[in-house]
Amino acid sequence: MAKRVAMPKRDTFLTDKRIEEEAALLLAEWAQKHGEVNDPPVPIDEIIELHLGLTYEIDDLRSRFHHDDVLGAIWFDDATIRVDQSLDPHVHPRMLGRYRFTLAHETGHWRMHRDRFRRDDTQSEMFDGEGKPSFICRSSDRPPEEIQADKFAGAVLMPRAMVYRVWESWRGDAGPVCVLDLEIPDFDTDPKRNQTIAMERFCKPLADRFGVSAQAMCIRLETLELLVRERPNLLFG
Amino acid sequence: MPPKRKTFGQVLREKRLAKGFSLRKFAELIDVSPTYLSLVEQDKVERPPTVERLRRMAELLEEDVDDFIALAGRVSEDLPEIIRSERLMPDLLRGAKGLSKKQLEEVLEQIRRMKGKEGD
Repeated sequence: MAKRVAMPKRDTFLTDKRIEEEAALLLAEWAQKHGEVNDPPVPIDEIIELHLGLTYEIDDLRSRFHHDDVLGAIWFDDATIRVDQSLDPHVHPRMLGRYRFTLAHETGHWRMHRDRFRRDDTQSEMFDGEGKPSFICRSSDRPPEEIQADKFAGAVLMPRAMVYRVWESWRGDAGPVCVLDLEIPDFDTDPKRNQTIAMERFCKPLADRFGVSAQAMCIRLETLELLVRERPNLLFG
Repeated sequence: MPPKRKTFGQVLREKRLAKGFSLRKFAELIDVSPTYLSLVEQDKVERPPTVERLRRMAELLEEDVDDFIALAGRVSEDLPEIIRSERLMPDLLRGAKGLSKKQLEEVLEQIRRMKGKEGD
């Protein structure tokens, strides 16, 4: 199994490669105890509770933190992840992708940021006796750690090799797809927005298999260069 | 100070994890939302789960059904009828109140012997 490379301390910059490695390492650890995950969806609920041993709860975080876009939060000191009840996929089946992504995102904070985090006791009393969360994750608030945790979530829920494998069996070949070859609607005056709508429609079946949102699937496919916005240069083709 | 007795929510979470069920998986198996199950585990619900649901939980976790129902603060559904069925039944229960576990086991043994003789 791959060895963990120490995370840099007091440095908010992490390369994408380092984030991918950390996600792959977590999956390798899970595989060692529970067997390899060969097919999607990646069991993120089980990884959090059964492998990492974190306390996991669903609660009304929006009321608690007085923000209507809170998705999840993590308390490093208590090793606890909480997700907002608005994401409950049993009550809101369409939220399954965001629910799973939020779990994976909080896992990213646990794996990448907890060594660098220092408890600030001066603010604990503000948070109803349960201590201040290390991170409160909101859809409108995107500091560097949040972006890193999103990248980690993408990598852990859509592992590179698994995506390539599923893509090939779904498409019939391993080559990329260019957005310009998709049927692009004209809903919006912004052509890029129309492209995004076309991409998300295209990604939907794959997103459902991986248990993520079409938006998350698109971002991952673009990162892995399976979905491209411009035609590949065929000059030497 | 004696150790604080664990709440139903704490016991439920421990047993669920020991059996290898994630919160969402276990909620699905007992047909409730993960939010509700999570609130039960945090002891934040006003009413405990129904007896039928507690029974299902106990079966999945291979726990004693009556212990589980009692821990959750529910009364098994056959008890009200039993209490109503005989005028002396409430007196029997009131009389048994305060007996130690060992004494109650002796009473139960006595009852079993009496019932055994009845069946002869």
